[in-house]
Amino acid sequence: MNKKVDIFTIEIIKNALVAIGEEMFLALKRTSKSPIIYESLDYGIGVTDANGLLISQGNGIPGFIGTLDAGVQNIIAKFDRENIYPDDVFILNDPYAGGGTHLSDVCMIRPVFFEEELVAWTANKAHWTEIGGKDPGSYSADATEIYQEGLQFPGIKVFEKGIANQALLDLIEVNVRLPEMTLGDLQACAASLKVGEQRFLSVMKKYSKDVTLTAIDKLLEHGDLMVLEKFKTLPKGVFEAEDLIDEDGMGNGPFKVKVKVTITDEAFVLDYSGSSDQAPGPINCTMGVLVSAAREVFMGIVQPDAPATDGCFRRLQVICPEGTLLTAKRPAPVSAYFESMVCAADVVRKALAPVLPGVVTAGQFGSVCTMNLSGQIPETGEHYLLVEPLVGGWGAAVGKDGESGQFCVGNGETSNIPVEITEARYGVMVEQYAFSHNTAGAGEFRGGNGVVLDYRILSDDADISSFFGRGITTPWGINEGEEGSCNYVQVFDEQGNEKARFSRTSRYPLKKGDLIRLVTGNGGGWGNPNKRPKAKVLADIKNGFISERDAQAIYGI
Amino acid sequence: MTVRVATDVGGTFTDLVYIDEGNVKAVKSDTTPPNFEQGVVNAAIKADIDLSDVDFFAHGSTVVINAITERKGVKTGLITTKGFRDVLEIARGNTPDIFNNTYQKPNPFVERHLRLEIEERLDYQGNVITPINLDNLPELVAYFKSQQVEAIGVCFLHAYLNPEHEIKLVVALKNLWPEINVISSHEISAEWREYERTSTTVLSAYVLPPAQQYLDKLKKKLLANGLKSDPFIMQSNGGIATLKSARDNPITLVESGPVGGILGAAAYGEVIGDGNIMALDIGGTTAKCSLIHHGETRITTEYVLEKTAKKAGYPIKTPVIDIVEIGNGGGSIAWIDAANSLHVGPQSAGSTPGPVAYGRGGIAPTTTDANLITGRINSENFAGGEIQPDLNAVEAAFKTLADQLNVNAMDVAHGVLNIANSNMVNALKLISVNRGYDPRDFSLMAFGGGGALHATALGKELNARKVIIPPFAGVFSAWGMLMIDLRRDYIQTHRFALTDNSKNAVLSAFEQVIEKAGLDYKNDGIDQSKVKHEMYVDARYSGQEHTVKIHVPSTELEEIEFIRALSERFHQTHQQEYTFRLDGSAIEVVNIHLVSFGLLDKATLEKLPASSTESADTALIGKRSVDFDSDTQVTAAIYNREKLQPGMKFKGPAIIEESTTTTVVLPENRVEIDDFGGIHIYLRD
Repeated sequence: MNKKVDIFTIEIIKNALVAIGEEMFLALKRTSKSPIIYESLDYGIGVTDANGLLISQGNGIPGFIGTLDAGVQNIIAKFDRENIYPDDVFILNDPYAGGGTHLSDVCMIRPVFFEEELVAWTANKAHWTEIGGKDPGSYSADATEIYQEGLQFPGIKVFEKGIANQALLDLIEVNVRLPEMTLGDLQACAASLKVGEQRFLSVMKKYSKDVTLTAIDKLLEHGDLMVLEKFKTLPKGVFEAEDLIDEDGMGNGPFKVKVKVTITDEAFVLDYSGSSDQAPGPINCTMGVLVSAAREVFMGIVQPDAPATDGCFRRLQVICPEGTLLTAKRPAPVSAYFESMVCAADVVRKALAPVLPGVVTAGQFGSVCTMNLSGQIPETGEHYLLVEPLVGGWGAAVGKDGESGQFCVGNGETSNIPVEITEARYGVMVEQYAFSHNTAGAGEFRGGNGVVLDYRILSDDADISSFFGRGITTPWGINEGEEGSCNYVQVFDEQGNEKARFSRTSRYPLKKGDLIRLVTGNGGGWGNPNKRPKAKVLADIKNGFISERDAQAIYGI
Repeated sequence: MTVRVATDVGGTFTDLVYIDEGNVKAVKSDTTPPNFEQGVVNAAIKADIDLSDVDFFAHGSTVVINAITERKGVKTGLITTKGFRDVLEIARGNTPDIFNNTYQKPNPFVERHLRLEIEERLDYQGNVITPINLDNLPELVAYFKSQQVEAIGVCFLHAYLNPEHEIKLVVALKNLWPEINVISSHEISAEWREYERTSTTVLSAYVLPPAQQYLDKLKKKLLANGLKSDPFIMQSNGGIATLKSARDNPITLVESGPVGGILGAAAYGEVIGDGNIMALDIGGTTAKCSLIHHGETRITTEYVLEKTAKKAGYPIKTPVIDIVEIGNGGGSIAWIDAANSLHVGPQSAGSTPGPVAYGRGGIAPTTTDANLITGRINSENFAGGEIQPDLNAVEAAFKTLADQLNVNAMDVAHGVLNIANSNMVNALKLISVNRGYDPRDFSLMAFGGGGALHATALGKELNARKVIIPPFAGVFSAWGMLMIDLRRDYIQTHRFALTDNSKNAVLSAFEQVIEKAGLDYKNDGIDQSKVKHEMYVDARYSGQEHTVKIHVPSTELEEIEFIRALSERFHQTHQQEYTFRLDGSAIEVVNIHLVSFGLLDKATLEKLPASSTESADTALIGKRSVDFDSDTQVTAAIYNREKLQPGMKFKGPAIIEESTTTTVVLPENRVEIDDFGGIHIYLRD
């Protein structure tokens, strides 16, 4: 093969490899049994090279971007090469080893062999609705040790040479609350890995092993070159910020998350030294998750116009001592890990907002705002478990208002579950799903609106666990923009009397007829509200986002 | 004498195809915005057709999609269940551009102050929980009037199960405001998911007045020019509708342009007895493809307008032929990124400035330029001979890229073709391999201006059975319309578990909709004996979300055989599309899907006179040097398509020229002409 043809063939192979991630993503979406996978798209999927470097991915959640490759690297380190066979599938959710986040996010990993040589890996990571543990949905706002949070898979084979490890499946079956759904997810995840393998091998068959491997090197190098090119436009220097996580679900807190961002011509360094020690409650994350958070915010700021591969992240360094709430050690509980993860990404944006107007927004509602609602379907007595994150308001940026009613930045393709499906599958009735009436986050560009979602409980013996961050600390405004508002849950009895109000709680008991109201916050504003053009304020009045009186008080109109 | 006519209004040309005693003829006339109907009549005049002789007139138009993409619909209001007016704007809350913290959601087509609420509520089984309260309707109407609203959409929760409240509201609304345009969700979609249904309803209302005005103008103009019966209208589902039914629900026309060609492919496949086809339409800016299996096109209601990898778009739950579209066409621009990687598309040079060869100021080389400089397109007969291409400028454009990559200009031209082909192969894989179909079982049928230029390379790469370049490829969409029937798709969410005793549940689920279909066709004036039904169900493993569509087996079967056959079809289709089957898992039916055809008397196509010999020498017009790859220049025989006759055979390398396109025949290919003038290219000896 001559050199001239080579460079274009390489381009074609690169495109084909990038397409694999997307194909695998769709295959899993179509076959999953969990609404959290097929509606919320709470999963990521990809291909790595033989050494576990990410070459292709399809992602619903940017937060999984650092975990697939780490999971593969974990397996490579743990298993001797001669004990890895074609048609093996590994299962892994250990947060303290590479590839884990919290126990509900299960990683499945499959080696890819070409002519008996291990040439690549396919991997996915998906939020399984149930993985056992003390609370339904396998996350607990008040867990004190990981042992309470569900089954741990330390990177073991669930299939060997294509044959299922029945002992393991039986073990899973009796340890989870919804075994059919959990085992269904397992099958779907395993099948989607095969799709990636078939596509990868067809590329290698067509172009030969050597040319394909060259194309992989070029693909990774391309990511790095595109990143370096974008570095030219970034402000250089050292930028610092800190933020608070209110509490850990056990009444402890607040906890500090601190970052020092150093940008040079060749490196982007995030140093989280000085952040608080790990928390007694489950808001901790581990180093692998912190790297994912860093990658997510890095891709959003650098915008390299290249597919996300390992090559894009060569210039990114993450520093943080062990034992902080961002780098927790066993057996710290981690089921609400996304709170510290979101905060770790947001605090970088906070540090860079003043120097990157238009690229970075003011503070967002800043929480996945998820809840687990458990109870019985009145008609059948069947047990249900509704796990759903909630949309809220994003921060404003120079040139645009914040988005309203959007899943938190970093939640990617996560989508809400339609009301009509919620009501058909769970024992609740949704009475309202609307933008909240709240004028927080005013500014020349205003923060986006949060929402109000009301669930009427239709059976006794229900309970709710909530994981709403930013219950006390508001999202920040920038450049005289006002701060946004907080996230919380209210419970009312049938007569409409407020029984409780909280942001985080564990298994709060509910009765038939109770109403739970979930409220999310507005994002922060950017720029002085007095500078907001009159026409925009009038439009907000017309559209019912602000009253005339408030508009006068806040915007002087 | 019976004359049958089909017209297709495109951006530049209005195509007219007619069939007169088995012979097909076509003309192209200029499209005449904003009075598109004038262009239609002009085409008829150009074809010398007396409309009073015409007993079938079909029409395809882009009026609906244009109204949406150009934001030229009317000011629209929305009425929802109390507590849910923001569903339209919250949408699904997702961020497809996953790393972008300045992502912008699509703007809703109805502003918040025009989204009003009515007290009413159904539960998830369709039972009335809160009766509809119309007390404040006059107030709503007054507000809409004060805001000059011209159309209203109505979408209530669970109305797909029970339309009672929507119907009551529409009746009351019409009483208060007889001239208002109103459409409610159950009239368009009977599937669950309130955001998608609301979005569909809003867009339907938004285009209702302009679409109706257009259809009315068209009808008036055609009748004034002698046509005796109403024209039929092309729909997105691959069938045609009576003008009246299209007028009632014009959103069904939204993708009628792109599906026209796919339908032509299915129709031509039927004519030549080939039911397995990958249809490929390559135009100026995009390539579109769709799979036809056993003669059936694939229907989806997951169509999302303006969706891209970075934008969520607007869902429209109307039945649309499932098409994969990518940003690669003749005008796609080749460019080099900051890391020296060559890309083709999705930016297009369009028609202005167009490819470099047009000499209209384009400096970025395109796929068309690459086809020209490699000798595939005849420079003497470029763009139908209307443009003398500037070959020096084309070479210079490739040289600019070549210098950056340190190769020569021809290498880049070949690189551009190879990359464009690989992008198209990836799209074709999405409709075939990725859904468990083996391309070796399919013919690749290519049309559009660029289809025939790329088809053999794509077919070879995919291992397709053969490549077919149909006749009438330049007016394929209009041609297809002559060959089809009236079609209605009724898709209803209807959930039940499939058990050994479910035969009745399956059949009774269809009863009502079969009755409705009969009534709808009766209103069209179609005799019951001409109505044909096909029953499908969308089913899934219990607990899964996404479904597979399966044909309901013969209803003659005994209960147990019926269920067994249905289940086995389900397991097989699931395995084919998703690589696994779960024999032990319960199966759940989610939707029933009735396809009802109103059969029309179709024209039969006459075979062309066969050639007396297999030799194609009478069609040979010369030879020229063509670069099939960057190392070898080959002398290819050049044929004039108009002179190719049924029965002729020849071998590659060759180029077949006609006024609207060029067919590339690779050195190892073998060509045969079928009875109707279609070119069949066998890819291996």
